[in-house]
Amino acid sequence: MTRFRAVFAVTSVALVLTACGGGDSVSVEDAWGRPSPMEASNAAFYMQITGGGDDDTVVSASSEVCSVTELHETMMDDGVMSMEERPDGFPIPAGETVSLEPGGLHVMCIGADTLEVGDEVTVDLEFVEAGTVSVVAEIRESG
Amino acid sequence: MSTRTRLGIGVGVAAVAVVAAVWFLVLPRLQPHVFYGQVIQSGSPAPSVELVGPGGAPVALTDFEDQVVVMYFGYTFCPDVCPITLAKLDRARTMLGEDAEHVQVVMITVDPERDTVEKLEKYTANFDPSFIGLTGDIEDIDRIATTYGVYYAAAETDSAAGYLVDHTSTVLVVDRSGELKLIIPFDATDEQVAADLAYLLG
Repeated sequence: MTRFRAVFAVTSVALVLTACGGGDSVSVEDAWGRPSPMEASNAAFYMQITGGGDDDTVVSASSEVCSVTELHETMMDDGVMSMEERPDGFPIPAGETVSLEPGGLHVMCIGADTLEVGDEVTVDLEFVEAGTVSVVAEIRESG
Repeated sequence: MSTRTRLGIGVGVAAVAVVAAVWFLVLPRLQPHVFYGQVIQSGSPAPSVELVGPGGAPVALTDFEDQVVVMYFGYTFCPDVCPITLAKLDRARTMLGEDAEHVQVVMITVDPERDTVEKLEKYTANFDPSFIGLTGDIEDIDRIATTYGVYYAAAETDSAAGYLVDHTSTVLVVDRSGELKLIIPFDATDEQVAADLAYLLG
C-alpha cells in the first residue's frame, strides 16, 4: 500500500508537471482578416486565443499595416449594430478559448494599408502575463 | 368484438393513415415558399430613393426596373458587420446562377461625411463589381432611412477611428414590381437569403 501511495504520488506530480508544461503559455490559432480594398480604411483581425496556466488579458495589439490598432467588440441590440472599443482589453481565462470572430470581439485595424487575399500580416498581441505574442493573420475572403 | 366493430376500427385506422399521409406528405409540397425574411405587404411602390451613385451619377430606385433590389445601409469605415453582410449577399447571389443578373445589391451609406463616391465604389467592388454604393446629402439619407425604418446614429468614441456609426443591420428587399417585400435579419444564412431571392425572381 505504501509503495502504491508512493507510485501514485510520483505519477500525480508528473501529471501536474505535464499539465503545467503543456498549458503554461497562451496559444493563438487561426488568425485571419478580410481584404481591405483601399488605403487608410479599417480592417479587422479575428483569431482563437486559448489561455495558458493562469488567467490573462490581452490589453493591446499592434501591427505594421495599421496606423492604430485597438480592441473592439461588435454588439447587436434589436437589429441595431454598434461597435465599441474595449480599452481594458479581452480577458482570456486559464485554459479557455476566446473566439475573436465576425460580429463579436475583434482586433480593429484603423487606417489599414491595402490588404489583398493571400497577404500575411503580423499582429503583436500584448498580454498582461504572457507578454508579447506575435501571430500571423492570413488575409482571405470569408464570411 | 363484432365484425361491424372490427370494420369500424379498420376504417378509423385507415382514415387516420390517409389524414397523416396528406398532412405530412402532400401538404408540405403544396405550401408556398416560406420566406425567411419578414414579409411586408405594402401593396404600394417602395418609398423613393434618389441619391448619388458610381461616378457621381444620380441613381434612383426606379432605375432598376424588373430587378430585385437588395438594399443595405452601412458605411465603409465599418470593418466587421458590414463586410459580413455584403460578403453574404455576394455568396447568396452567386448561388442564384444566371438569375443573379436580375438582383441588384445597393449599399446606402449612413456616413456620407466620410464615404465619398470613390470610396464607396472601391468598397463595394471588393465584394462584387455589380454592387453599387449610394451617398448623398445627409438630409436625403436621413429621410430615406427613416422611411425604411432604418436607425442610425454616429457614436462619438475615444477610438482613433473617430466616430463609429451604430446602424440597423437588416437587409431590405424590393421586388421586381418595385414594392418593398422583405426585411432580412442579420443572422440569415447564405442559403436562406438565396432561397428568398430565388422565390422573388420567380
